[in-house]
Amino acid sequence: MNFYLTYVLVACALFVFTALFTLFALYSERKISAFMQDRLGPMEVGKYGSLQAFADILKMLQKEFIIPTAADKILFILAPIIIFVSVYLGFAALPWAPGLIPASLNLGIFYIFAILSIETLGILMAGWGSNNKYALLGSMRSVAQMVSYEIPTGISVLSVVMISQSLNLQEITIRQGILTSDAINFLGIWDVKAIGGILAWNVFQAPHLIIAYFIYFIASLAECNRAPFDIPEAESELIGGFHVEYSGLRFAFIFLAEYSMMFLVGMIGVVLFLGGWNTPLPNIGSLSLANWTTGIGWGIFWILFKTLSVVAMQIWIRWTLPRFRVDQLMSFCWKVLTPLSFLCMLISGIWRLTMM
Amino acid sequence: MNTEQLIFYFFSALLLTSALMVVSIQNLVRSIFLFFVSLFSLAALYIFALADFIAITQVVIYVGGVLVLMLFAFMLSNKELLNSLQPIKKSFKFYQLIGIFICLAFLFVLVSLNLQIDFSNLSWIKSSNPIMESDNTTHTIGILSMTRYLLPFEVLSVFLLMALIGAAHLARKGKKT
Repeated sequence: MNFYLTYVLVACALFVFTALFTLFALYSERKISAFMQDRLGPMEVGKYGSLQAFADILKMLQKEFIIPTAADKILFILAPIIIFVSVYLGFAALPWAPGLIPASLNLGIFYIFAILSIETLGILMAGWGSNNKYALLGSMRSVAQMVSYEIPTGISVLSVVMISQSLNLQEITIRQGILTSDAINFLGIWDVKAIGGILAWNVFQAPHLIIAYFIYFIASLAECNRAPFDIPEAESELIGGFHVEYSGLRFAFIFLAEYSMMFLVGMIGVVLFLGGWNTPLPNIGSLSLANWTTGIGWGIFWILFKTLSVVAMQIWIRWTLPRFRVDQLMSFCWKVLTPLSFLCMLISGIWRLTMM
Repeated sequence: MNTEQLIFYFFSALLLTSALMVVSIQNLVRSIFLFFVSLFSLAALYIFALADFIAITQVVIYVGGVLVLMLFAFMLSNKELLNSLQPIKKSFKFYQLIGIFICLAFLFVLVSLNLQIDFSNLSWIKSSNPIMESDNTTHTIGILSMTRYLLPFEVLSVFLLMALIGAAHLARKGKKT
């Protein structure tokens, strides 16, 4: 029975982590946006407003659950749960450090994409269940966007999988550092297996994956419904989109799902392209920095550091760029990102056959 | 009964009840969402058959694709259309008798086959090497679809391309006259 206890503990730890991350991201998003707009941001609660997020959560917990009279009650209540659980289940297959992965699946990355596609269903549920035309419009926009942007995401992920020859995220990560048993070639020519570090990351093993990473990053912004792709929530047109009718803890769950999704897509990108838990420091002669900075503690540190940097980029982009129009959004996806990602996949195939 | 069997029976029961409710419930949107439950529990049953790749593909294609498409078509259609749907009358009709007869015939075939065949001693099951839980099925599927089943694979991809081109052609604006 002991391993059942471990399962429960791991699940609880991941849930606590998503909740803590959401609080942290909430505060940092406010502070970063304030810095970019030359304001101070939250300053009242705690030193430099550092307890502001806790105060917000406390406020949310006290709020009343309001169910609109004409709403479809079952769908309305179930939707936030499905949205959050689908994102939360995605965390199960992500590697945190050498040997530290909640579930080392052979189909890791494929499983994550399958689970994330359930979120669209939850959003449609929320939009329809609210019985509000703004909510319905928002959910339709959101789903149209997420379904279209899944294609460039999936294809750019495939171009990595073709290089790594595995769907298991732990194996993909191991193949990008000094712990691997295969040969690693920097730009396909220079063997860096003993050197490791930043040179062994997937984006430097095959340089066309840099383009694939940019495609993935842009498309992942669209999948989290974040600016500049936030037309599903466009406050000025849709007063908040599919979650307009939600209040209290139910809204908190949708919010939690949104921020966990930011972390999740950032972490998938880091694992696939930027080396996962591998250190960026290479071995230089007798100064074996890569050997010193690889381990369970270091692994968790590196992956958190890299992913939080990616999240900071997402926040930075949100407060810099204006919102896309619907037609621009769709033509950008289908006419620019999709052909480019197909090109990346083609190059991956040729690269695998000729350079490796 | 061990845990695996409990989970198996739980998902089987979930699949059967949700599938029954999909066809019997009056609210169309709820029935589509219940369809999601039955597809998802079907995916869980695939895992018990050690077909994890098929299970995940089931979720990707049916939940991420087909169900969302159904909901889209449903939400873009006129709301008046729903009101015109007549509630099903409870009275018994002659044509229902035919349906019941066919169902019973199928049930009879299944039950009698199940009673006649001794599944553990079939020669073609004994001679084939079974899949192990530790096997990497994706690897095998990939190699087989590139070697032994290359022609069906290519034919399918050409077929899908045809469907794609056809859809794009239908969606095009006609020439202005």
